[in-house]
Amino acid sequence: MNLKTMVALILLLPLGFAGVWNLQKRIDVQQSALEAEDDQMMLRSSKLVKVMSLEYAPLVADIYWTRVVQYFGNKHAGQQLDLRLLWPLLDITTTLDPQLMPVYHFGSMFLSDAPPRGAGRPDLAVQLIERGVRANPEHWRLYYDLGFVYYFDMKDYLKASAAFYEGSKNPKALIWMKVMAAKIAAEGSSVGTSLFLWQDVYNTTRDPQVKENALTHLQLLRAQEDCKQIDGLAEQYRQRFGRRTTRITELVQAGLLQGTPVDPLGYPYILSEDGKAELNSESPLMEKQVLVSPQK
Amino acid sequence: MKRIGVVALNTFREAVRDRVLYNLVFFALVMMAAALLVGQISIGIEEIVIVTLGLSAISIIGLLIAVFIGVGLVSKEIDKRTLYALLAKPLRRWEFLTGKFAGLVLTLTLNTAAMAAGLMLALYCVKHALQRGDTLVLVAVYFILLKLALVVALAMLFSCFTTPLLAILFTAGLYVAGLFVHQMRGLQPQLVSPAMAAALRWISYLLPNFENFDVMGAAAHGRGIPGTLVAHNTLYAALYCAMVLGVATAIFSRRNLR
Repeated sequence: MNLKTMVALILLLPLGFAGVWNLQKRIDVQQSALEAEDDQMMLRSSKLVKVMSLEYAPLVADIYWTRVVQYFGNKHAGQQLDLRLLWPLLDITTTLDPQLMPVYHFGSMFLSDAPPRGAGRPDLAVQLIERGVRANPEHWRLYYDLGFVYYFDMKDYLKASAAFYEGSKNPKALIWMKVMAAKIAAEGSSVGTSLFLWQDVYNTTRDPQVKENALTHLQLLRAQEDCKQIDGLAEQYRQRFGRRTTRITELVQAGLLQGTPVDPLGYPYILSEDGKAELNSESPLMEKQVLVSPQK
Repeated sequence: MKRIGVVALNTFREAVRDRVLYNLVFFALVMMAAALLVGQISIGIEEIVIVTLGLSAISIIGLLIAVFIGVGLVSKEIDKRTLYALLAKPLRRWEFLTGKFAGLVLTLTLNTAAMAAGLMLALYCVKHALQRGDTLVLVAVYFILLKLALVVALAMLFSCFTTPLLAILFTAGLYVAGLFVHQMRGLQPQLVSPAMAAALRWISYLLPNFENFDVMGAAAHGRGIPGTLVAHNTLYAALYCAMVLGVATAIFSRRNLR
């Protein structure tokens, strides 16, 4: 190859790559149109996947778990509610590696959360965690996850209490598991219990998205508690002055509040037309409240 | 013994000359990519995936070397006719085979040790500290090495009486069969006749049980591996290798090399 040919080739190569780049973009558009909404799993039999994985089942389980996270994340980002592959993927992952604890913890969250945050299938979340308990009876945290789903998603306080109690029997379990069991058995749902459970999620998770979700729930629960207290003060105001107020400043002027109360993000609360305390429409918590039920 | 050592050392040198250890670069790249990527695209399994991916890479790379080079240990010497020169010297055939086996196991040991060091380094980078439980990873690596020694012995056995291609197929087939020994024993009576079930049960005890060496899950999840298992697996691998090499020697000794 002489110098001229070499130079020509060097000059032509970028052009060639530019052409390939451009062409690929067009192909991508056509391919994405073909593949739109075409969720597919080549193999649905968890046993077959396990057999085919030979001795590398733990690694294949990691790959499947990453696929679960990506699948859930993509659906979430695209605001798509159809999560029908979530359970089969989790089924395969836990069959391949029954000891992969993050799958039970996060997988149950993905399954149990109500749409649009999750699949809205707490029944499958319970099934997943029970599978985890069978494979890892020594992990008391699984009972915590089970109690969490029963408490928040299924509102079955009897089963939630039983799950916390069962977990508390493990000598390694933290003492508050027993306290939770007793508290839920006695009170059912309460803001204090919800705050404690979400605070624990916030403190223990290392995943930024889960942490943010827990923080949102904590902020909404605190706002809910604040609103309840302001409502109480508004009622005192009504009794003292014989009329309902629709302005927080009047509560301050009456000496019932020392200043204008603000929500966890620093936005002042307001009173509605019927005198009930609520979040300021400018507060970002307002939008989050639409997505999350206040108790969860 | 000295003659075996000389053959082993030459086998090791030959493997190094064949650039077998280049796979370490590939392994290092895989581990670095995994350490960087997994944290970004998954949740909660950063450390687990480093262990499973690292052990899988060690196993797969080791298996490829064990099968392909193991099969070539004898057949290449015959094809190149270098075996005639060797056997003309005061070297018995069993010494030749044992030396070849020891040489490749030495290569694999060095290779596996280097990859294990890389794996521990990747684990350290992700966790920022190494704990006592992480030594389980080294036990898993040791088990992989035992498995590889057994595969080398099998590859050498087959290469003593058949073509390299068939030897590779036989070794790979026996390896895969050895991963399903428990399933063979646990077949439901409704699925097979009692005679077949009994035969499969017999065969399952004769086959090399590669499931014995599979502790990847336990290592990844920090589950203790009992010392007796380490001792039993070591004995099992040593005994099985000795038997296979014994059969290989018997076949090789009777082989007409004209």
